[in-house]
Formats: sequence, C-alpha cells, structure tokens
Amino acid sequence: MSSFNPLYHSFWYLLRGAGMTLLMAGVAVVPATVFGLVLALAQVFGRRLMRAAVVGYLFLVRGIPLLVLLTFAYYLLPLTGIDLPPFWAVVLVIALYYAAFMSEVFRAGILSLPAAQWDAARSLGMTRSLMLQVVVLPQALRLAAPPFVSLCISLVKATSLVSIVGLWELTMASREVVERTLAPFQIFIGAAAIYFCICYALALYGRHLERRAILGH
Amino acid sequence: MPFDLNFIARLIPALLEGAKITVELAVLTMAICLVWGLLVALAQGTRGPLGWISGGYIQIVRNTPLLIQLYLVYFGLSMAGIPLSGFASGLVALCAQNGGYVAEIYRGGLQSVSTRQFEAGRALGMGRWTLYTTVILPQVVARIIPPLTNQSISIIKDTSQVAAIAVMEVMKISEIWVETSANTYDVFLGAALIYLALTSVTSCFGRMTERWLAFAQ
Repeated sequence: MSSFNPLYHSFWYLLRGAGMTLLMAGVAVVPATVFGLVLALAQVFGRRLMRAAVVGYLFLVRGIPLLVLLTFAYYLLPLTGIDLPPFWAVVLVIALYYAAFMSEVFRAGILSLPAAQWDAARSLGMTRSLMLQVVVLPQALRLAAPPFVSLCISLVKATSLVSIVGLWELTMASREVVERTLAPFQIFIGAAAIYFCICYALALYGRHLERRAILGH
Repeated sequence: MPFDLNFIARLIPALLEGAKITVELAVLTMAICLVWGLLVALAQGTRGPLGWISGGYIQIVRNTPLLIQLYLVYFGLSMAGIPLSGFASGLVALCAQNGGYVAEIYRGGLQSVSTRQFEAGRALGMGRWTLYTTVILPQVVARIIPPLTNQSISIIKDTSQVAAIAVMEVMKISEIWVETSANTYDVFLGAALIYLALTSVTSCFGRMTERWLAFAQ
C-alpha cells in the first residue's frame, strides 16, 4: 500500500468539508428538535384526530429510508415549483425526518415521569401550561438528553447522504479527492477519522449527561 | 405523466426484483449480526486486549457513517487487492456497522437484569449453566426483542445506501427508472410503498414475537 501522502496534501480540503457537514447538521438539528417536541406534545396531549395525524406521520417517516426522501425531494421539489436552494432543501428533509425520531425520545421522557409528579402539580392548582413549563418539561428533557445526543450523532452521520444528491460536504469532498488521487483507502480513512472525532466527542458528552441523570435520581 | 397504469404495470415487476435484493441483504445482515454482535459483546466483557479491541471496534463503527464504510470496503479493499462485488461489499459494511449496534443491544439486555436475579439463582444452588439458561437468558431475550426489531427496521432502511455502490436494490432501480422515464411520482411512490411494507412487516413480526415470549413466560 502506498503512503498516506494524498491524505496529507488534501487534509485541509477535507476539514473544510467537515465544516460544511457541521454547519448542515447544526442548522438541521434546530428545526428537528422544535418540530420533534411539538409532535411529542401533540401525541401526548392532543385530541384523538391530532394523535392519529402524528402517528401517521411517524409511520411514514420511520418506514421510509432518508435516502429515498432526499432523492425524492431532489427530483420532486423543482417539479412542484418550490424553488429552494439545495442546501435548504436537504436541511428541511433531514429536519423533518429526524423530528420523527426526536418526538419518540421526548415522548418517552414525558411518559417516564412518575404519575405522582402530575398529581402533585394538579393538586397545587397549576394550569396545564404552567405544569408543562415548571414540572414536566424540565424533568422530561433531562431524561431525554442522552438519547437526544445519540440522535444528534445519527444526524451528523446522515448528512453524508446528501453527497449522493450532489451537495458538497465531507463525504463529497473525500469522493472528489479520491477521483483526483486514486487513493480511496487513505482518503476515506481520513474522512472516517474526521467523522469519528465529531461523533465520538458527541458520544462522550452524551455519556456525561447520562451519568449526571443517573446521579440526579 | 403521473399515475400512468401502463407504466405502473411495467414498473412493479422491476421494483419487486429490487425488493428481492433488498430483502436478501437485510435478512443476511440481520442473521450475521445476531451472531457477530454476540461474539463482540462477549469479547467486550472480557478483560485484556480482546475486550479493549472490541470496545474500540464498537466505538469506531458506531461513530462513522455507513456510506464512508461502504466506500472504504468497496473502493478501498479493491485498491488493496481484495476486490469484492457491490453486494458483498454492502453486506460487509452493513454487518460491520450493525454488528456494533447489536453488540450494544446484547450488553444493554444483560446489564438490565438485576444482580439480585444472579444472587437468587446462586442462593438456590444453581450452577452457572442452569442459572443462565433458566433464569438470566430468558429475561434478556424478552428485553432485547424490541430494540432488535428497531435495529432490523434500521437495517432495511440502511440497505438503500448500497445504491451508492451500484447494487440493484429498490433504491438504485428507482433512480434508474426516474432518470429514464422522468415519471418521478410513480417511481418514488412505488419505492416508498415497498420500504413501508417491508418495515411494517418487520415491526409486526417483532410485536408478535414479543407477545409470544410474554405468553411463554
């Protein structure tokens, strides 16, 4: 096997791709979290019709691969006349997809609160929105934090799929370099190492949150 | 022209051909991962270099994208003189990544059994074999069925990424059909329905197994 020279020469280029990966993931995670929380609240507190709509949405999104949805959006959005720049189109699809998984995490957090918490809040005469703000959500979100971080890791990894529909980020950058240098082994190892640094840092943070959650109880 | 019945009549057999490959890939991956994940989980439980290596393996495969692993196996190994077909590369990469997840599921299941169960078994004078086969493992199996079902669903969806290395599964076939016919709606509706059918059947099967195990206990 040849040396790691090609990787050495293109490392800055790959790091710039990693910057784009981080930007994409960072921008997508915000709407995903907000929408996920809305879905979770709708499923726990909503009326029957609302709950059915959420369940239907979760069924669709969780049963179809992200790659299919991304490719679908790539071919279909121009046809429907929605003229989003590609970056925002993929961010939108990733956010809508991950919102479904986030909602499951938040819902599990809300449902795992002991019933006594609800009773106590109600017996203090709290309204539903006050109960949510000061009793339910602070505890539920703390419980949901570790699985939320695992989802963020999954989201960072999922941004690699946008290279298939032609967007430039770390995976696309490494494919470009491979085409130029014909050194797939070295370059993809380099790209994997960069992804690993990002995701492992997140994983360590998640483990820290988990330990704190266990100690807090 | 969307919803062209003649077109759909030609499309369905082609997509089902792809579905065969998708199912083959997913079933093989799950079967191999059940064994491979167990081996990794057992190795991780040991002290010394073997435990250290399998711990590192789990972290590496879980914190890098499947797509990069696919490229590494498909392009990297062929450069290193071990050319694998697209299907074989896909299988290797899918097993490598999901083996790490399945190993964590086994570990989580074993850890979730209370230490009192072990103590109680030992207090009854059970040997190690009897303790594990009659007390511990039945509980572990019941607990790992739901996460294993989720993992199977995730594997089915992950197989779509193998399209990136030109394996003719559902995703690749639908891409080709979109590009040659420009009939985006029908093709992606078909692809989405196939994935939804496969994931729904899997989750039904998981729930049936869960209920059957609850009954058997």
